[in-house]
This record gives sequence, structure tokens and C-alpha cells, in this order.
Amino acid sequence: MIALYIGSTGGYTGKSLVSMGLGYKFRKDGLRVGYFKPVGILPIKVEDILTDNDAWRIYRALELNDPLSEICPVVLTQELAVRSYGKELKGLLAKIVKSFDQLSKDKDVMLIGGYGSIYTGSYLGLQGLKVLKRLNAKVIIVVKYEGEYIVDYVLQAKKDLGDRFVGVILNKVTQEHRESVDEYAEPFLKRKGIDILGILPHDPLVGSVTVEELNEMLGGKVLCCHDRLSNHVENFLIGAMQVDKAMEYFKKTRNNAVIVGGDRSDIQLSAIESGSVCLILTGELYPGEIILSVAEQKDIPIIVVREDTYSIAKKLEKLSIRIRLRDKAKVSRGMSLVAENINFPLLYKKLGLRAGQ
Amino acid sequence: MLDNFFNPNSIAVVGASRTPGKVGYDILKNINQYGYPGMVYPINPGASEILGKKAYPSLIGVPGKIDLAVIVVPSKDVIEVIGQCGTKKIDSAIVITAGFKESGIEGSKLENELIRKAKESGVRFIGPNCLGMIDTHSKVNASFAAGMPARGGIGFFSQSGALCLAVLDRALPDEIGFSKFISMGNKADISDTDIMLALAEDENTKVILGYIEGVGDGRKFMEVAKEVTKKKPVIILKSGITSSGAKAASSHTGALAGREAAFDAAFRQSGVIRAHTINELFNFALAFANQPLPQGPNVVIITNSGGPGILAADACDKSDLKIVSPHKDVVDELRTFLPTAASFYNPIDILGDSGADRYEKALTTVLKDEKMHGIIVLLTPTAVVDVDETAMAVVNIAGNTDRPILTSFMGKQRIGSGAKTLLRYNVPNYSYPEEAVSSMNAMYHYRVWINRPEKTYPQFHDLKSKAIHIFEKAAEENKERLTDSEVHDVLTAYGFTVPRSLFARTSEEAVAAARGIGYPVVMKIVSPQVIHKSDMGGVKVGLDSKKAVENAFFDITTRVRNIMPAAQIYGVMVQEMIRGGKEVIMGITKDAQFGHMVMFGLGGIYVEVLKDIAFRITPLSQEDAHEMIRETKTFPLLRGVRGEAEADIEAIEKSLLTLSRMAMDFPRIIEADINPLLVRKRGEGVVAIDARFAIGGE
Repeated sequence: MIALYIGSTGGYTGKSLVSMGLGYKFRKDGLRVGYFKPVGILPIKVEDILTDNDAWRIYRALELNDPLSEICPVVLTQELAVRSYGKELKGLLAKIVKSFDQLSKDKDVMLIGGYGSIYTGSYLGLQGLKVLKRLNAKVIIVVKYEGEYIVDYVLQAKKDLGDRFVGVILNKVTQEHRESVDEYAEPFLKRKGIDILGILPHDPLVGSVTVEELNEMLGGKVLCCHDRLSNHVENFLIGAMQVDKAMEYFKKTRNNAVIVGGDRSDIQLSAIESGSVCLILTGELYPGEIILSVAEQKDIPIIVVREDTYSIAKKLEKLSIRIRLRDKAKVSRGMSLVAENINFPLLYKKLGLRAGQ
Repeated sequence: MLDNFFNPNSIAVVGASRTPGKVGYDILKNINQYGYPGMVYPINPGASEILGKKAYPSLIGVPGKIDLAVIVVPSKDVIEVIGQCGTKKIDSAIVITAGFKESGIEGSKLENELIRKAKESGVRFIGPNCLGMIDTHSKVNASFAAGMPARGGIGFFSQSGALCLAVLDRALPDEIGFSKFISMGNKADISDTDIMLALAEDENTKVILGYIEGVGDGRKFMEVAKEVTKKKPVIILKSGITSSGAKAASSHTGALAGREAAFDAAFRQSGVIRAHTINELFNFALAFANQPLPQGPNVVIITNSGGPGILAADACDKSDLKIVSPHKDVVDELRTFLPTAASFYNPIDILGDSGADRYEKALTTVLKDEKMHGIIVLLTPTAVVDVDETAMAVVNIAGNTDRPILTSFMGKQRIGSGAKTLLRYNVPNYSYPEEAVSSMNAMYHYRVWINRPEKTYPQFHDLKSKAIHIFEKAAEENKERLTDSEVHDVLTAYGFTVPRSLFARTSEEAVAAARGIGYPVVMKIVSPQVIHKSDMGGVKVGLDSKKAVENAFFDITTRVRNIMPAAQIYGVMVQEMIRGGKEVIMGITKDAQFGHMVMFGLGGIYVEVLKDIAFRITPLSQEDAHEMIRETKTFPLLRGVRGEAEADIEAIEKSLLTLSRMAMDFPRIIEADINPLLVRKRGEGVVAIDARFAIGGE
């Protein structure tokens, strides 16, 4: 059995996407795959079993049959947080090892999902580095590519991981960044003896959120088109200009949601006409009947939120870096993104795996 | 008061001009041509004589005493002229000149300078940027308006000069009589309240009419209006109530338009009658200026056709007027001369073949019924009816009764001269029945206002001292809102019942708390960042078991953590679950011009859409609290529908008065909401389930 830890040097880099994609490929290649998340930070109860939301989604995507209760043995609930600050908690690592041993018995590969970066978790006594060493795992580091400077983190990770370090996957590489990856980052990392296992391009769909998720995050009320909550929003625009400028502005950006004051019916109409996929009305101001009926006709859901436009924009800024793989369309796109862009021969070689083992 | 404005012995026109078409010419011409008996001095350094009057180079050079200076010089020279007024001991001036606050930053500076100079020189002034002033009784027309209104009892002041012109032009053909016409302009010195006080004292003015876009000092306005409305009716058209209107108004004369709700409450509480259109302003003015007030709400309608009668009755139904059937004796008498096909009850339809004499008889008969407080006479110009004769018949009867008679002779061509006759003899005629009804209704409201007993203000024990430390601490810490526990303390200090609550950091503690309080319980997130708890899924109700409490703890904390990762979660508040009762919302808001207001509305999830809320400006009287609850459309729900028990309305009133007290005690409250306040059955009181307080400012 090979234990493969998917870690990172920062949060929200795409570890879940990679885990899901790798797991899918391994399974297709006839390997017996398992998934394990030592520490979860997104508590959810599934039929009264406490687990982690991301872990549960990967578990389902990979069609696993292991006992769900063991997939994520430590879930950071409010309860656990309060207790951990109060006193030293004992036995958490032992619990993790026990679950892991149970799950890995009949597997060829165990994918282990890190949480946060490999350096977080110390306050629970469960720092990623410590856990992955205890589970004797090899490590892939997923990096969200935001510029050449990220090589610095990778070098540090290599130093801390030593022989366990398998290689790095660069994620969310935009068109603009692609050049700097090819010219600087890749040659540099190679020279330092670090393998690049894959470069995943930025994908607007994978980076999108659904209207339903948005509504939940913003604590809003959906006023119409309840059957369109699965619309994907890829971009956000603020509608605060004169109406004659609005149309042009909205049309330039695809799959946008427009954030606009609830009393600006002119802008709202322009957004609807220009084909926005969602309207977010701020200030808890409800739109007129006309707006609602036009939106209904054009199948554009409208969310009303309490806060002002600036606060909502700020919230969305934060939200956009912690996008999660939730719905089907995004999951399948994410999987094919991994399948197409990872150097599997290299990965298999480095792990000593053979397809159909 | 302001005597030199309205009744000056001499007037100087500074900036008088020889050129027809110039404002300085028109003003002088207006003063001359309408028979002003006093001395007139044109001031113009380049002229020796204008319009037959000897001109002077400056105010200083005028030999005699001057009571009023009308200033039309360019804006840059106005301040110097005001200085000369001081030297010449002229204490009253009208500044017609524009180019002040309404024109931008430079103008605004100039206006401040003008105010300073006037104060220093002991000059009171109307304007700047105004049309001038007209007094029909002293024959002063110090304006550049075209025409002079007839003498009468309506005193009109307006923030907009153009509206003055429009009203004047509308009044001229019908010979509607005015006492005074005052264009206020920018109101840099003499304000609405000054004018209202002056008009209140003016013997020639029976009714005060005003057009305003905003007021400078809301509280002062209310105080003055309250006094003035005891003496005379004040009818005001207030614009700038919509957001687009407000934009236009603030760029118009630079006054910040107050909130609609605040003005509505202020008018209501000070007895000001509000007109919503220019038409209504006129309609009301005509009724008040010409007819006595009705002593009660009962109205009888006499008509020669069915349709208009029904329209009038419908309009009465929507107003506070009542349509009651005439006394049996009256009906019997009507039967003696009306055709059998007539309708003897109210509206009384005397049929289309009626002539003037049938109108006369019907009117005389109906007036015998003492319980009828007002009469509305409707007429459609049938081929049979002699409109002029009928008008004379109505006029004769109206002249001999102390009850108001309003008419609606409908049409234009055929009723023209009749309508004129009516108005000439002080019976206002309206184009449509609804207008007659709304005018009668306005008169009835005013009657109620002047007859109402003095308002009673409840006495409170000292509540402030129990809560002052909380507000002081919050001020010290520069907090924008009170924490949950502070809100709890403030509410209990002011005698509000709040649900029993215990704080819990873990689910174990929550279960213990729920046991202590007793199932079922409510749980709410406690986090300083989460203000609207239920928006974030931070509230669960009806938790009736250990399991439910544990799950709720998990759900609430997880959800809030997911949605607001940066929020600090302290734990949850476990609260007694109050069942039964109706949800209402009440609170305190602060208006820029009128200060604190208390708000009331029926609660529940639709409150924001329905916006069925009422406001009163603090301090609230017992009567205010009583009325505002009944003002909401959903009030019957509190009374109980379909056999429901009545809610404790008295307790709501007491709560509103307490909030008013709280607002008076703590001026730093910017906004407070108790939402929901659960109202139980009569006698069982209210419980403040949740509340928020925003504080700050002075």
C-alpha cells in the first residue's frame, strides 16, 4: 500500500480537486483506492455521522464503500475548538492512526487529504507534517500559481519533506501566468531537482459558484427562478454606473452576477437584458414587480441581501478564494482537468505504481 | 411682527431699472400700479427718475425714512446694500437677487457673508433668490409677479418662486382671494416658522398655505406649527418625498430633504394639514377660507344623479367622514315633495328632472337634521336644471347656516357661470365629487385637532440611571452597537420582559442550560460579527430534547463558521421559548431634521415588503401611542380576527411610550429595533424576543 498525502503550503489551492482527479484515474487504472482526511474543517452530519464536507464529497465521487465514520476521524467543530483552546486534547493522533490503519488494509493507494497547509494544525497537536510522517506518506504539494515567488514555498517544503516529496502540481495557472511558468518557474524547479507533475490551467467553470451557494454564503433571499439556482457565476460586477454605460460593461463579462442596490431598477433591467446569470440586490431593497416578471421570463434568479454593495463585494472577494467542488458539472470538469494535465507516467514511476496492479 | 414687510410706510427698490423686462423695472412697476399709498424710492446711481418717481443714487441719499428695502442688485453688491440698510436704519429687506446657495460653493460663501452682514447691521430679510412679496390689504406688491390677486383670507408662502407664480395665475381668473403672498427663496434669514408666526397673528389671514421642500430645524418647525394650528388651519404641500424628488430638491434650494415618514409624523403631530398635490392645496384652501368647520363627521350628499352620488359616498367611505341616514322626520318630509323614484336615504338622489327649487327644498329640509355636520351638493348639468338659479339657491342657504356646504357642479361649459357665483358667495365648487369629499374630510380633521384635549405625557420613574452605565461604557469604547448582554440589560432596566436566557459555549453547556430553562428552547448564535442572526442560519426554535439541542448547537455554529469564516463565535444563547402571541416590531430611528422617532409595525416575515409601519416623533404622548398602533393596516389582526383573542394592545402602547422615554434619555441611540416583540393575550403583556441597538454620534 502506498500512502499519498496531498498537501500544500497554503489554504485553498485545489487539494480536493487533485485528490478527486487522482483517485478517479487510479481507480480507472484498476488500482484499489481509498481516501482519508485526518483533520476536517468543514463539519457536516451525514445520517448522524459527523464528518467533513469535502471528504464526504470525494468519498461519494470515488464511490467508496469504507465506513464513513472513519474517513475523517477528527472534525473541527465549534465544540472541539472550544475544548482545544481550554486544555490539551489527548489521543487525537492515535485516533487518526487507528482509522487510517483500518481503511488502508485492503488498498493499493491511500490518498490523504491535508487541511490548510502542511504547517497548520499545531494547536491541536496535529500539524500536517507530523501527521503525514506518522502515516508514513509520500507527498504531492499543490500550489496555486500566483507568480514566480511561489517557488520559495516549494523549496521550503522540499527541505521539510525530504525523500517523501514526490513533486509539485501547479494549479489555477491563468493564461497570463502561463508564460512565466514556462520561462522561469519550471526550469528553476527542475534545476533544484523538483519534479513538476502537472500544470492545471485556470478554469472558469471550476472557479465558479452556483447561485445557490452564493445565496447561502451571503445569507440572502431568493426572489425568483428557484429552478435556476444551479446557474454558475464566474464573475462579479458592481452596477453603480449610469445606465447607458451599464449595458456595455455587463456584456463584456461572461456569466456574471451583478451586485446592485435594490432601488436601481434601471441597472437591474440592463443586467437582465445583457444576459447576467444572477442579480444580487443589496440594502434589503426589494425590486419592483416589473423587474421580477422580466427576470422570471429570462430565467435570471434574483437574490436580496441585507448588506450594502461594498460589504457584499468584500465578502465575495473572500468567497472566491475558497471555492469548493460541490456540484456535478464542476466535479466532472475538475476530474477531466486533472486527467488531461497530470503527467501520470512520471507520477506512477515516482510512486513505483503500475496500472492494473 | 414683521410689520415693516407687510405694512411699510415707505419702500426703496435698490437696483430699480428703467428698462422694461428687467426685474428691477417690474418690481417698481408692480409697487406703483396696484395703488400702494406710501412713499416709493427707486435707487439707481445712473437715473434721476424712473416710472415717474424721483430716483436716488444710493439708500444713504434718500431724505426720508425707509421701512422696507427691496434689493435687486447683482449678487456681488447685495452685501454692501445690506450694510447701507444698517446705516440707514432699515430693518427689513427682501433680497430678490439670485446667485447664492442655490448656485454652488461660491454662492454659498456669499450667502454666509450675507447672513453675517445682515445680523451685524440689524436687518431681517426674506430671500435671497426669491420672487418677492405681496400684501393685498396694504396694497404692497413688491414682487415681479404678473398680476395682483384679489383680496381674501388665504396667506401663502412658498419655497419655490415659480410655484407662487403658478398659484397666482391659477387664482386670478377665479378671483380667489389672498391676504399675503410670500416667496421665501433660500430662507437664509426669515424662515418658514417666522412667516407662520406672522401669518398666525395677521388679522386678514384666515388660512395659512405653504409649499416647502425641506425645513431647517425640524423640532422648531413642529413647535411653532403646533401653536399656530391652534389658531388657524395650516395647509402644507411638501415635496421631495421620493428619492428623485429629493435629489431635485437639494439641488434646488440647497435644503436637505427630510424623510417622508418624519414629515408625515411631524405634520400629524403638529396639526398641519398635508396636501399632496397643488390641486389639493387649492381645494383645501378654498374650503377653509370660505366655509365653517364641520362639527362632526356626518355628511349628507344631495345629488341629481346616481353615479356621482355613489362616487361621493365611496370617497366618504375611504375617508373618516360618515354617511348616515337622515332622521325619520326628515325622510318623511322629503317624501312630501320628492318623486317616489327618488332616493331618500343618504346620498339623497332628487333625480335628473330637478330644478333649482327642488334643490332648495331638499337642502332646507336636510338642514333640519341636527346630526348632519356637513353637506355636499352635487349637480350634473341636465337639460332641465337651471344651473345659475340652483347656484343662487345654494348660496342663499349657505349664507344662513353655520354648517359647511361644499358643491360639485360637474362639467365646464354649462356650469361655468354657476360655479363662479358659488365661489363669489363663498361656496367652493369642485370639478369632481371626490375633491369636495377630501376637502370636507380635511376640515373635519382640523376640527378634531383643535377640539382635542391637551396631550398627556406619561410620567416615568427614573429609568435612565439604571442603564446609563451601559451607554457610557459603550461611548468610552467607541462601540457602534451594544452587545447581546448589554441589550438585555438595557431592556430589563426599562421594564421590558425578556425571555430567560443562558449562555453556552459548548453543546454540553447548552443542554444543561436547556434543562435549567425547561424544554422547549430557542438557540441563537452569539458572535459580535453576526448582527442579523437568522439571515445566517444562526437561530433555531422549538428545540424540545437533548438531541435537538445538541444538533442545533452543531448546525448553528457550523453554518455561521461556513458563511462567515472570520466571525468570532463565542457560543450560543439558550432561551426560553415563548409561545403564542403575535409578533410586532417597534423601534427608534433618528431623522436628520426631526430627531428621534418611534416606529411601530406588525412583525413577521413580510414586514419588509408590506412596510406597514407608523412613526411618531418623540416625545410620544399617550394619544400618539394609541393612534399609531391603529394607523397600521394590519391593526385588526391585533384586535383578533375570526374569534381570536385580542392582543394586549395596552402593553404595546406602554412599550412605545417607554421607547420614547429611552430615546429622550439617550440621544446617542441612532437606531434601535425590538424585533420581534411578542404580544400575548390581553392582560398578559409583551416579551422582547430579540433586539438591536446602534449607537454613536453626539
